[in-house]
Amino acid sequence: MSNAWKLMKIMVKMQLSWAGKSSSEKVGYVIMAFALIPFGALILFSLNNLIGNLYNALEPTGNESVILALFFILMFVIFIVTSIGTVLSSFYFAEDVESFIALPFHPYQIVLGKSAVPFLSLYGLNALILLPVLLFYGLHSSAGLLYYLFAILLWAVTPVIPFVLLSIVLMFLMRFANISKNKDRTKIIVGMFGFIFAIGINVVIRLDSGGDGSGTADLIREQNGLLELVTGFFPTAYFSSIALTQPASVTGVLYLMLMLGLTIGFAILFLTVGQKIYFKGVLGLSGGTRGRFNESKVQKTIKRKPIIYSLWLKEMRIIFRTPAFFTQIVVQSLFFPVFLLVILFMESNTSLASLGSLLTQLEGKKLVLGLFGFTLLSVGMTPASFSSISRDGKSWFNHLHLPIAPQTVLRSKIITAFTLNLLTIAILSFAALFLVQVSFKIWLIWLLLALVTNWVTSIGGLIIDLYSPKLDWTDEREVFKGRFIGLAMLAIEATVFGTLILILWNVSAVNGIWVTAAVLLTFLIILAAACHAGLKRLSDKRYYSIH
Amino acid sequence: MIELKSISKSFTGKHAVKNLNLTIPDGKIFGFLGPNGAGKSTTIKMMTGILPIDEGSITINGVDITDYPMEAKHLFGYVPDRSDIFLRLKGIEYLNFIADVFQVSIEERKEKIEYLTKSFGIYEALDDHIQTYSHGMRQKIVVSGVLLHDPDVWILDEPLSGLDPKSSHTLKEMMREHADRGKIVFFSTHVLEVVEQLCDEVAIINHGHVQFQGNMTEMKQQFQDDDNLERLFLELTENE
Ligand SMILES: Nc1ncnc2c1ncn2[C@@H]1O[C@H](COP(=O)(O)OP(=O)(O)OP(=O)(O)O)[C@@H](O)[C@H]1O
Ligand SMILES: [Mg+2]
Repeated sequence: MSNAWKLMKIMVKMQLSWAGKSSSEKVGYVIMAFALIPFGALILFSLNNLIGNLYNALEPTGNESVILALFFILMFVIFIVTSIGTVLSSFYFAEDVESFIALPFHPYQIVLGKSAVPFLSLYGLNALILLPVLLFYGLHSSAGLLYYLFAILLWAVTPVIPFVLLSIVLMFLMRFANISKNKDRTKIIVGMFGFIFAIGINVVIRLDSGGDGSGTADLIREQNGLLELVTGFFPTAYFSSIALTQPASVTGVLYLMLMLGLTIGFAILFLTVGQKIYFKGVLGLSGGTRGRFNESKVQKTIKRKPIIYSLWLKEMRIIFRTPAFFTQIVVQSLFFPVFLLVILFMESNTSLASLGSLLTQLEGKKLVLGLFGFTLLSVGMTPASFSSISRDGKSWFNHLHLPIAPQTVLRSKIITAFTLNLLTIAILSFAALFLVQVSFKIWLIWLLLALVTNWVTSIGGLIIDLYSPKLDWTDEREVFKGRFIGLAMLAIEATVFGTLILILWNVSAVNGIWVTAAVLLTFLIILAAACHAGLKRLSDKRYYSIH
Repeated sequence: MIELKSISKSFTGKHAVKNLNLTIPDGKIFGFLGPNGAGKSTTIKMMTGILPIDEGSITINGVDITDYPMEAKHLFGYVPDRSDIFLRLKGIEYLNFIADVFQVSIEERKEKIEYLTKSFGIYEALDDHIQTYSHGMRQKIVVSGVLLHDPDVWILDEPLSGLDPKSSHTLKEMMREHADRGKIVFFSTHVLEVVEQLCDEVAIINHGHVQFQGNMTEMKQQFQDDDNLERLFLELTENE
């Protein structure tokens, strides 16, 4: 056991240590933490209100337990979804897996050590969401001391079962379903899972919304009736909720005991399964494919290209061939347009289809600003841009000793982010012209706005990444995980573009479609030029000193 | 000729290279020796423009690497100490990329790629992703990339590590030929037999200083009791 403890400490230290982080990064974290305080306070405030209102509405029929159940279910789902990525990368895809296997440890010890970081992140979420919920519920129900004691115990054990369930499923999959034979393919499947899940749920809800809710009314009439309906698939949420709503009764104590016992049982199961099958899933993991050698095919690929094109091609190849990049960049940026397409197709016979003619009735300025807002939603967040430098990781230095001008390298990265967004723009154009039948004029204005915005955000993201890149990753996911870079970009964009929209909205001199569009475009072009200048200055200073 | 004039480099206050002077003449194979952590790779990274130089200056065939980086970088080819190249590319794509950077003509690249990869035995692996290569194969693809554009100056950081005997022999022959054409081969190594067999001149550094520079005979003269290079090396780099 002490071996497992040592392993856990090492893993946590390696992942969370401040060492190797630049001072600008540290400052960034601190600023971010402070910036999040008001945001967090707002969320807590609304959470408190929500629980209070729900409690008052449900308490008369004795159904208040469902509030807790809903949050326990929510936590269960959150834990499962967030663990998929962290468990897979920690257990199977991290580069250090093979080196640990060579050391004289039991499989269960390595599994425990490898669980430390994913598990800690679950407790972070747990502390952020469930802890305040339990507290607020206690306050609203004016609960006694016993409730809080139960609440703390249950809070502590909540992450264990979903984590163990998911880990066991993954270990079995990796061991028996043979998906681990191709590491890259597994990563893509797992990466797409979240998106398919989201779109699937959306479709199901839309198909389902035709039904009526008469059954629910009956259920509300009996005590805990709602609870039983809601927790049908989540027995642990049921046990926890009952234990918390009746802490002083025998039932309450029994259910608490049951939860504690179950947790211990699951922990033991986890270690047993880990001991038995973990290694077998890891061994034989391999990345990439090797095909048969075809001489003439290879000879044909020998071509001479301009350097900027060659660099761009390299970027695109790396993005499309690296699962983590493919899912985070390509799939992610297609998510919004595809989602929109699905909705449009499903609602093709309703009001949405006439959106096109509706748009023309809007006042010119509002229309253009609305279009601009929509543009920001669709191409504003470009993971391809704010991962530009970090994607290269340890291979970044290759750009430094080769005779390629920094401006050329950076330009190729901007163009990469730009081209990837073109796909989104193309899909949306298709939807606008053929599904919603937007007029050609409006589409043209939107296209111009989208192209220039795309340019601005592509440079903007690159600047942010160049300012604080992460090159020392061992698993590609780290380029996106645990960095606030996406959030930083969102904050900056919200500030800059939000101000811009506000100003244009309120300046009465700017009016009509063409004038507004022209003013907006001018602003964006000036912004793009400013970004270019800023990038030049930053790269003069930082390009050769990032490592 | 490569000239390093009193260059220094420190990492967070600790000196890795301090006031180092070195002149590497044309037409020589120049060995760069020193214990682990002596500052060899750091020096080489400054020569190749990867690390900014804190103090001092470096010129390659008269071109200053800091002032005219593009021109200087066209003059040399560099094999890094770790082969962290673009792993997701295929071997052939990597070589094509390098050839694009150095504007190698299409006929020349076809001929060179075939010749080099065949002599290193990685021709058949050209269509595979570099990620699937073994350590030695990665080293070979990097070396092929360097030789592909035929630079005047070769700067190699432990180029022979991981190579099998045949490829190692091939590379050593190529180094000899290059130097015999009046060009520069500058490389770091830990293998003293290679130094004895191959080098025209050596520099030994320790703690970021040059401890000794000269050709083999000079070296032996200076340390007359030492009948072999190993003992000499140990004596020179003994921790003070
Ligand atoms: N990125 C870095 N950050 C901090 N210190 C560094 C860094 N790179 C090198 N050093 C330090 O500089 C010194 C010289 O390292 P260098 O890599 O040049 O040694 P070397 O002679 O190439 O060693 P080896 O024979 O092991 O390759 C060492 O003390 C090392 O710890
Ligand atoms: Mg070294």
